[in-house]
Amino acid sequence: MASSALPAGVDRREARAPPRATRSSVIAIAGVGGAGVSFALAVAGEGVGVEMGEPLVLAILTACLTLSYVLCGLLAWRHRPASRFGSLMIAAGFINFASTLVWATRDVPYTLGQALDLLPPVLFLHVFLAFPDGRLRGRSVQGLVAASYVTAIALELVRMHFGDFGPRNLLEGHANPATAETVRQVQLTLVSVFCLAGVGVLASRRRQAGRPLRRSLALLIDAFAFSLVMLAFLFVSSAFDGPWVAQIRWATFVTLALAPIVFLTGLLQARLARSALGDLVVELRADLAPSDLRDALARALRDPSLDLAYWLPEFDTYADVDGRPLDLSDLGRSRVTTLIDRNGEPVAALLHDTSLQDEPELLAAATAAAGIAVENGRLQAELRARLDELRGSRARLIDAGQKERQRLERDLHDGAQQRLIALSLDLSLLEERLAGDSEATTSLDRAKREIAISLEELRDVAHGLHPAVLTGHGLQVALESVAARASVPVRLTVKLDGRLQERLEVAAYYVVSESLVNIAKHAHATSATIDVARANGHVVVEIVDDGIGGADTERGSGLRGLADRVEALGGRLRVWTPHGGGTRVKAEIPCV
Amino acid sequence: MRVAIAEDSVLLREGVARLLAESGMDVVAQCGDAEQLLAELGSEPVDVVVVDIRLPPTHSDEGLRAALEIRARFPSTGVLVLSQYVELGLAMKLLADSAEGVGYLLKDRISDVKEFLAAVRRVAAGGSAIDPIIVSTLLSRRRTDDPLERLTRREREVLDLMAQGNSNQGIADKLVLTLRAVEKYVSSIFTKLQLPATGTESRRVLAVLLFLRN
Repeated sequence: MASSALPAGVDRREARAPPRATRSSVIAIAGVGGAGVSFALAVAGEGVGVEMGEPLVLAILTACLTLSYVLCGLLAWRHRPASRFGSLMIAAGFINFASTLVWATRDVPYTLGQALDLLPPVLFLHVFLAFPDGRLRGRSVQGLVAASYVTAIALELVRMHFGDFGPRNLLEGHANPATAETVRQVQLTLVSVFCLAGVGVLASRRRQAGRPLRRSLALLIDAFAFSLVMLAFLFVSSAFDGPWVAQIRWATFVTLALAPIVFLTGLLQARLARSALGDLVVELRADLAPSDLRDALARALRDPSLDLAYWLPEFDTYADVDGRPLDLSDLGRSRVTTLIDRNGEPVAALLHDTSLQDEPELLAAATAAAGIAVENGRLQAELRARLDELRGSRARLIDAGQKERQRLERDLHDGAQQRLIALSLDLSLLEERLAGDSEATTSLDRAKREIAISLEELRDVAHGLHPAVLTGHGLQVALESVAARASVPVRLTVKLDGRLQERLEVAAYYVVSESLVNIAKHAHATSATIDVARANGHVVVEIVDDGIGGADTERGSGLRGLADRVEALGGRLRVWTPHGGGTRVKAEIPCV
Repeated sequence: MRVAIAEDSVLLREGVARLLAESGMDVVAQCGDAEQLLAELGSEPVDVVVVDIRLPPTHSDEGLRAALEIRARFPSTGVLVLSQYVELGLAMKLLADSAEGVGYLLKDRISDVKEFLAAVRRVAAGGSAIDPIIVSTLLSRRRTDDPLERLTRREREVLDLMAQGNSNQGIADKLVLTLRAVEKYVSSIFTKLQLPATGTESRRVLAVLLFLRN
């Protein structure tokens, strides 16, 4: 058993190795070092503006932010080497560090730090929108991030050209503080707008999913969105010198630093999922019913939206556990399809949340564990599909037989019966004309009697083929004569609003007439009741007599044939016939 | 007497038309379907229509619906329904609340020319003609505490003919009895079955049929 991905909905990423240990150590040490430098610069406080608030708080938060992104990014990279998400986070961490060089007292680091001042928030935006695989999906999202980068860097350089930043600014050209201030306000407003647009993108992703999201994923997207809202709020406040800017900055830093932690929690949960896999194995051992397999897999993969579709090669389609055909292209919208195959033959397909792509080991382990159970489920689905097909073909056979009988009855009615009546009428007219010739009238009379007997026999044959009154006038009218001709007093109650489908009427008619024949032959009854009603989408036909009971339900009674007819329509015929306790026949047929 | 016919078999339609014409009736319309019949009735008054229960286009209940519509729209026109099968349920539907000017006969009865012409005249005059099969089905119907067992054989014969729509004179002719004797039997039957005496002959048809049905 192996799991492979369908071309549709899955992007095959090139295999990338996790970072080697030395490289990881270097990155980690650099991250810690960078955080230390930021901390020292902030605490020294020489280059920190008053608007930044308490230097120690700033120092701690900045260091935490850098560490959070570098270290979480490193873990993400090791865990999911195929994804660029980890490296992107590491980059965000280091850029955050670099931007704190603006607090340095020397020219070069100061100028670098100032130039990079607005880059960290843009990188955070990039990280959030690039979840889960580190790629930006869609032209508009790519454009949004690109515009953010241009705004952050180009406008910063313009600002530094005109700005009054003091002697450390190596990029100063013509000092023009008014222009610089305007550029600053435009820049901060634009970045705020971009952050809010990012929130919009995240919200639409949540909505697009259209079904319950995996919980860790929903929490993560919310954390990203909240961070972006905080950033936007911070920039608007600082562009227009609003109150509490320092405190808003601290809160924003805390939110930003927490987002990678939430991401990390998701990763750790994936680790914990191994124990959910253990549960799955235990459940599978306990002879899991095929119908419960989907739920067990959904629990193990923590994806409530999961669907399991079995491949039925004979029918050339996917189907649910009851053998009903499923359309994968329809079900798979905004989800990923993972094929489960055995010896190269497809067995089933899992339709799951996109985020599970980031846990390929979990997916592979779960599908491998469920192997035999999936195969069992497939067999059951196939069996059910075949049963359905069989039921359908039985119903079609009975329908075809019924149609043929109806056609024969029509032919008799329109042909032989009409002609015989017309012939008999001609003979009568002839008889009147030959009124004097007693020999001739006697022969004519005999001929007419023969015709009358033929007509009667034909009528019986036609009625046996198909009770025409049923087609023309419905069950109530047709059953009235049947009840009137019964061998015992019958109370007939028909409660139907309007006509039923013809095949239902025919089945119900035969259930009643055949039951009355049985009563006449075997029941020794003194009375019977017939009830026909519609209930819960079924037509229910019930015939009860007060006879001796103990009817033979298999031979001679015609009950077998009735049951066949009723079951072919997806219905059910039940007979209660205790010795000495009368007989009750009840047919329930679904009205389609 | 003016008659209209609706029957989709040309052979039969023309046979019946000839039969009625030869007996001195005026056949004013011969129609192949119910729609045409209703159109004809709208343009000129007719005393009685002879209509097949199975008519185009679907050959299901067109004839019956036409008969019911004629009864509602043209109360003075008698309706004689012919069918290759007679069904109790249909008879009861057709009679609904009155047996006045209604007939329901098996198609085979046409060839008993005298009886058939009598039935057409009876229905045209506001009387009834109910097929013997319907009546015998009702009479043979099993009942607990059957009140019919209280009747003599002769009384049952009278009841049978009465339910078919025969007048007292008609019954007297058929059973070779005097009119007075028939009247005596009839009143005895009504007493034994505890039926209230009714005025016209067609009213007693419905009363007897309803009694027998329940």
